[in-house]
Amino acid sequence: MALQRAITGFTLPFFLVIFLASVVDVVDASWAFVLGVIGLLAGVAYGLAYYYRFEYGITPDTFDVQSGVISRRSREIPYGRIQNVDVARGVVQRLLGLAVVSIETAGGGNTEATLRFVSESEADRLQHQIRRRTAEIKDRQRSRERDTETDQRGESTDATPGSEAPSPDPDPRSEREEHVDPTRVETGYRSRRQRLFDLQSRELLLYSFTTFRPAAIAAVLFVFFLATDTILEYMVTVANPVGGPEDLENGDTGSYGILTVVSMINGLLITYLLSVAYTFATYYDFRLGRVDEDFVYERGLLQRYSGSIPAEKVQSVTVTANPIQRLIGYAGLWIETAGYGPDSSAGSQSAVPFAVRRRVYTFTENLTGVERPKFQKPPTIARRRYLVRYSIVAALFVAVVYGITRISPLEGWYFAAAVFVVVPPAAHLRYVNLGYYVGSDHLVIRRGFWRRRTTVIPYYRIQTLSTRRSIFQRRLGIASLVVDTASSRTFFWATPTIYDVDLEDARDVQGTGRKRLQSALRERARSDDVDISVDFT
Amino acid sequence: MESLHPRIRLLWIGQGVITAAVLGAIVVAVDRLLLDVPTTLQWGVIAAVIVIGLVYAIRLYQVWQFEIEPDALYLERGVITFVETAVPFVRVQHVDTQFGPIERALGLSSVVVYTAGSRNADVRIPGLTPDRARELQDTLRELAVESEADDAV
Repeated sequence: MALQRAITGFTLPFFLVIFLASVVDVVDASWAFVLGVIGLLAGVAYGLAYYYRFEYGITPDTFDVQSGVISRRSREIPYGRIQNVDVARGVVQRLLGLAVVSIETAGGGNTEATLRFVSESEADRLQHQIRRRTAEIKDRQRSRERDTETDQRGESTDATPGSEAPSPDPDPRSEREEHVDPTRVETGYRSRRQRLFDLQSRELLLYSFTTFRPAAIAAVLFVFFLATDTILEYMVTVANPVGGPEDLENGDTGSYGILTVVSMINGLLITYLLSVAYTFATYYDFRLGRVDEDFVYERGLLQRYSGSIPAEKVQSVTVTANPIQRLIGYAGLWIETAGYGPDSSAGSQSAVPFAVRRRVYTFTENLTGVERPKFQKPPTIARRRYLVRYSIVAALFVAVVYGITRISPLEGWYFAAAVFVVVPPAAHLRYVNLGYYVGSDHLVIRRGFWRRRTTVIPYYRIQTLSTRRSIFQRRLGIASLVVDTASSRTFFWATPTIYDVDLEDARDVQGTGRKRLQSALRERARSDDVDISVDFT
Repeated sequence: MESLHPRIRLLWIGQGVITAAVLGAIVVAVDRLLLDVPTTLQWGVIAAVIVIGLVYAIRLYQVWQFEIEPDALYLERGVITFVETAVPFVRVQHVDTQFGPIERALGLSSVVVYTAGSRNADVRIPGLTPDRARELQDTLRELAVESEADDAV
């Protein structure tokens, strides 16, 4: 495949320059001028060099990228290993008709290849081509498996993409091209795109208002550090009419208290609004569709993302809902793959960000083929454990408050003891939201109160199974079972774990999981179909 | 179930001693720079850490066991949190043998089994003789190839 390098030549250095200039400008003004010019020149030079030294190509088996000005790197990514291809378009990029293409594989902690500043049509073409070729590879593999069914033992390492040797054998591929369905190559892919789910504006609004993103706190804190004085002034001005101090220096205990309360409410409100705006902008006009065996999605108001997720790469499926969303009967559906996504919640893509719970459940059942789970509960001793645990936390909190009252003029540490009131409900809520179900083909794990996640893991996706018992758990005769899949490790999305069940049950589930993993893999080897149903709505 | 080589205890005790030394250095630094720490307390801290390290090392050795089962590598380990892990052979991506300088001095070596998983993605079996480690690596590799699955990530 020919290299297409007719990409806008000057945009790359242009952006680099803007970036460099903006960084440099922060320094002293006179410096900035000199440095700015140097930075500009260096940026232009580097950008040009980067541009001329950046090459990518589509070969029959791999996607190749060669990059680097000072140290060169050439990388070949086998199609069979690609998890997803994402296209992102920012505001400026959309104006200039550009896009960023990211190619993800399972390995490593970051994106395998990022092509910046390709034209939109080129991005679409790449996405389409890679998807097509991945599908071809799969077809080829299948037909070859059928051919070699008889002497499968000897060939088996050959027929499957070996785990550690990703490059397929250098056999002439021309003869195998025959297996590929020619119509697929010729038909335009847009026409074959089938719509699965569109986020309605009502759903989008509800989703924005019921979701809180921790990232918003970070953003607010960041802004606060950047412009502390201005914000403090603003806080004082807002609190003044309701009894706050005139300025920060003059005020009594009462007015300072009002200032604190008002500022806190203010901060919470701003954080919340920011979070709402962020969610709104991220999931604006969300669309999920299918192309052959891949999911394709599009979303975003300012920055437009589009990506594809091959159905066979799906590791597990999770339904999430926070208390408010549960109250109004809505939930979201997420798909976990082994790659890293463009989201903060790396590795898991939203398939259906928000919909009525019934629909989400139906989607999940259609998607994975899981039966409606009848959850088993951990023994009540688990609840006692949480009670003790949260009591310890509460005691620590009271101790800290006590410490503060000793070294500061504040008084009344015993008011802090009120936190003990929330301990029993907290323990109970944690307990009632736990549950697991050992299905015939899937393991379903539910946990979490603030963000309840119900994860459906097909047995054939299990990587390792661990029964863990801390010293406390050993005393109570309970254990936690950690079910590891290849979906990416993230901060917010901990590995699916069945918490605090009887040791016997944990060992049972571990044994069942191991057995069913083997039988499920054998079954999959016999039949060709993807177990994830693409057409799930 | 197979246990580790007894000499691994020396390694772990050594690690305990190093921790004690580092902690001791910190305590001494605090004594010099910030506030007076009684000499007996200083030695007490170091002695306590060494004793804890000793008990921990011996206990860990007693607990650590592994076995090659028909379908999976099975391990039991952990003093504070006891963990029983099953690594199905189909899930083994690759197997390494490794040894650090201290391990080498003790004539020991480790086998590291990698999976595509996100947590516990690499499972380490320490305290093997180099021969046993190589043998285990070969066995695991053969078993992994034999049970090669179709659904590599």
